[in-house]
Amino acid sequence: METELGLKKNLYMPRTSVTTEGNKTGSWRFLRPRYEEKTSPCSTACPAGEDIARIEMLITQGAFKEAWETILRENPLPGVCGRVCYHPCEGSCNRREFDTSVAVHTMERFLADTAARNETKTALKRLPHTGKRVAIIGSGPAGLAAAWFLNMLGYDSEIFEAMSEAGGLLRWGIPAYRLPASVLSNEIARIENQGVRIRVSETVSDSRFEELKTAYDAVFLGCGYWRNTTLNIPGEFVSGVEDGLSFLRQLRQGAKPNVRGVSAVIGGGNTAIDVARSIIRLGGQAVIVYRRRREDMPAFEEEIVSALEEGVELRELLAPVQIAAQGSDCILTVQQMKVEGRDRDGRGRIVADGTSTVEIPVQRVFVATGAAAAETWHEPPPAEAEGQTAGSLALHLSHCTLHQGSHGTPIIYGGDLTNTNKNVTQAIASGKQAAMALDTFFQSGAGTIRERLAACLVGEGPSLSFEIYMNGPRKERKPHIVSYQEINTDYFQFEPRVIQPRLLIEERSSSFDEIELKISANTAMREAGRCFNCGICNNCDNCYFFCPDVSILRGRDMTERHINYDYCKGCGLCVVECPRNAMTLYEEGKS
Amino acid sequence: MKKVLEGSHAVAEAVRLAKVQVISAYPITPQTHIVEILSDYVTTGKMAAKYLRVESEHSCMAALIGAQSTGIRTFTATSSQGLALMHELLHWASGARLPIVMAEVNRALAPGWNIWNDQTDSLAQRDTGWMQLYCEDGQEVLDTTIQAYRLAEIVNLPAMVVLDAFYLSHTYEPVDVPEQDEVDRFLPPYEPAFILDTKQPYSLSPLVTPAAYMEMRYEIAAAMDDALVQFDRVEDEFAKIFDRRYGAVEAIDCDDADIVFVTSSTVTSTGRLLLEELLPRGEKVGVLKIKLFRPFPVEAVRRALGKAKKVVVIDRNFSFGASGIFAQEVRAAICNVPGHPPIFGYIAGLGGRDITVQLLEEIYFDVKGSNTPRKESIWVGLQEVNRAT
Repeated sequence: METELGLKKNLYMPRTSVTTEGNKTGSWRFLRPRYEEKTSPCSTACPAGEDIARIEMLITQGAFKEAWETILRENPLPGVCGRVCYHPCEGSCNRREFDTSVAVHTMERFLADTAARNETKTALKRLPHTGKRVAIIGSGPAGLAAAWFLNMLGYDSEIFEAMSEAGGLLRWGIPAYRLPASVLSNEIARIENQGVRIRVSETVSDSRFEELKTAYDAVFLGCGYWRNTTLNIPGEFVSGVEDGLSFLRQLRQGAKPNVRGVSAVIGGGNTAIDVARSIIRLGGQAVIVYRRRREDMPAFEEEIVSALEEGVELRELLAPVQIAAQGSDCILTVQQMKVEGRDRDGRGRIVADGTSTVEIPVQRVFVATGAAAAETWHEPPPAEAEGQTAGSLALHLSHCTLHQGSHGTPIIYGGDLTNTNKNVTQAIASGKQAAMALDTFFQSGAGTIRERLAACLVGEGPSLSFEIYMNGPRKERKPHIVSYQEINTDYFQFEPRVIQPRLLIEERSSSFDEIELKISANTAMREAGRCFNCGICNNCDNCYFFCPDVSILRGRDMTERHINYDYCKGCGLCVVECPRNAMTLYEEGKS
Repeated sequence: MKKVLEGSHAVAEAVRLAKVQVISAYPITPQTHIVEILSDYVTTGKMAAKYLRVESEHSCMAALIGAQSTGIRTFTATSSQGLALMHELLHWASGARLPIVMAEVNRALAPGWNIWNDQTDSLAQRDTGWMQLYCEDGQEVLDTTIQAYRLAEIVNLPAMVVLDAFYLSHTYEPVDVPEQDEVDRFLPPYEPAFILDTKQPYSLSPLVTPAAYMEMRYEIAAAMDDALVQFDRVEDEFAKIFDRRYGAVEAIDCDDADIVFVTSSTVTSTGRLLLEELLPRGEKVGVLKIKLFRPFPVEAVRRALGKAKKVVVIDRNFSFGASGIFAQEVRAAICNVPGHPPIFGYIAGLGGRDITVQLLEEIYFDVKGSNTPRKESIWVGLQEVNRAT
């Protein structure tokens, strides 16, 4: 047995050139991993149901056009929403539990701005012409969205707009420092290029409305809320008292009213904030008088913060009781209020604090306490029993109402006219739902609408996905909403959220220039890289690297992945190591 | 060149000089200093090697098995729980005939959680087919590590270089670090008996039926026997270049001794001091250092103990339900020798407790005054304990 030093022996070692492929270890499996994409919490929180997890993934890859088009499949107004949406997506971002939410709205705006700068053309799939024509009254976000999606579905959609330019509240009710006119015009131009006809300066009266019903196959009403609600107090109509919405509209029409001195703005919503901040920009002083407390204000918190930064004064718990003219000025008399118990909506119940009143001398008063439909026929007929009786139909959906009287033309009411939450993105959601409901109506009848829309919910809804409606790949997503606990955070590092560059406060007080400035592509890619991409596969290949049985098969382009169940033993490593819960482990034989 | 080195760093220097190509380890005290400095060597380019970070010792050994199968030299270091976690793969490495070399720093097994010196961790792996070489000082650690590669690659068996926690791993001593060309002369590049090659694919270690398994095992047994012979030859070659040799065993003043202490690792140094203490007083005492534990040098042990009247085995380890492990091995080695001396087994120094010259002296006089062992294993230095009520 002895060998010379350094002399190699032939070892008696078993070896084989026969492949082990004959040993199908998959037969040992009692758990089955699957690629199964799920729903991100942001996408279901988004009223427009945008596929945010995928959008951020595409940005990370530098695929800006594809990311932008992914938005357009669900929302025709990314440039608008990236600026004025209250971004509930960020409020439900799983990353909040890790460090801070992803700046989704900043990414959305970046994509829209990039597409605008490069004059990117879209190549979205359109269905063949149906030969049906839909009249859309009002070119606000609801009307634009309805027109856009109906167009995609093969309808001729034609918008009737009373004003000289399209955009509705977006153009006339939101100040330029939040939404520059050029951004809006750009979005509208794209919608028109897609084939939507917009007829401006065409007011639809009630008689014209009747004509439209016969001339078109369907009518969508998205006329919005343009009549300021009144305060019902003495002196409301004295000189020096104006309504907030009209004031904002005048500004967008180019007026530069003199607002020197102090203006009181009554209200706590976004319009009140917009009016107050516009006054500051015109060189005036603004005091917001609100009957509740700051935490009760329906205005977006970020807007309130900006207003206070810019010098707007907020006076809480003051209810207006009288306005009196005094020379060219006004005396606003307010009642001191206090909180006592709770209202049914959870906010504090506001009651008068004794009888003491305070007089506030101001140069003028703006009323911005809410708005309503301009004409009664803009609103759906009073609540009636839902259902189909004697050929007439009333279908109340989450974001729109469909009416059809005695086999007549279907009418859909949408936008602020039917929405509980009245804001831009909810209005877009309304237009989208209306388009999908109308298409279903024509395809398979009113009775199938609810079921068809339920199949297009993002997660548990009520957000809807147009891509799912169009049978796009998003249809494969499970409605399960990925929770923070389901993210494998070992694969993520703490990373500060992008700091949005903004105009200095002193720069803001003298111009209506947009406050939020652009960010670079690098910054956008870095910020998008913070996204967990909850529930979707971003080709990280962890499954491929961890699989001990080499059972993850990749397609030629390294994107398609399949599991080779002949050899997968069901150990579950791939599922555990998937950072974003894009895989699921099932008991064998069960789904 | 003489340097003052920690025992751990002596290992690292040897690994560098052996031109190891893949190092993988999972950190565990008291082994960590070894791979710490090696990772530094790899990062700074002082070694042309790949350092694999792994999530466990089990994965570490699996990685080395794969790496070594491609025909390159590998290294790891571990201790205690880490070695225990490697257990399954230790069998695999030897069964697959891969000459992997490992530094094993003897540390007590938990519980109680204890990072100090105790040999039970490595001795519990005696049946895994790994060669085991127990070292006494820093120089021996360096020399043995280099020799281990030579020996392992000749017999195609893995080797464990074992050193005491802290007493050796963290103790600074002057160590002669050889030049690279000298080491190159002693240790030629690794010539694997087989390699995995993706260009000519085959798989190793498939299913083996009863028709072939026993022969495979016999080959390993034969290789172990051969290692005993090759060990001496490797030492000869080493001595030619470096003028140092250690022996599978070292018999110190055993020829005239009535009582011979069998020791291993750093306790041998304490034994040397015992001789300095007792021999001038006319006591007939010797020390038998066992360096090579696997393969066990049965003949050398028999020869060294041939004239002793009593044999004392100091075990810093214990096999529960049996006795000290070196004592078992010595008993087994001499039981077939007619008229062999009685074996006095002493258990000392578990979990890092100090074994002093005074302690060995007490044991010496205890044995001198006894004709036969009172017990198979005598635990020395046990203290009264307060039990939880």
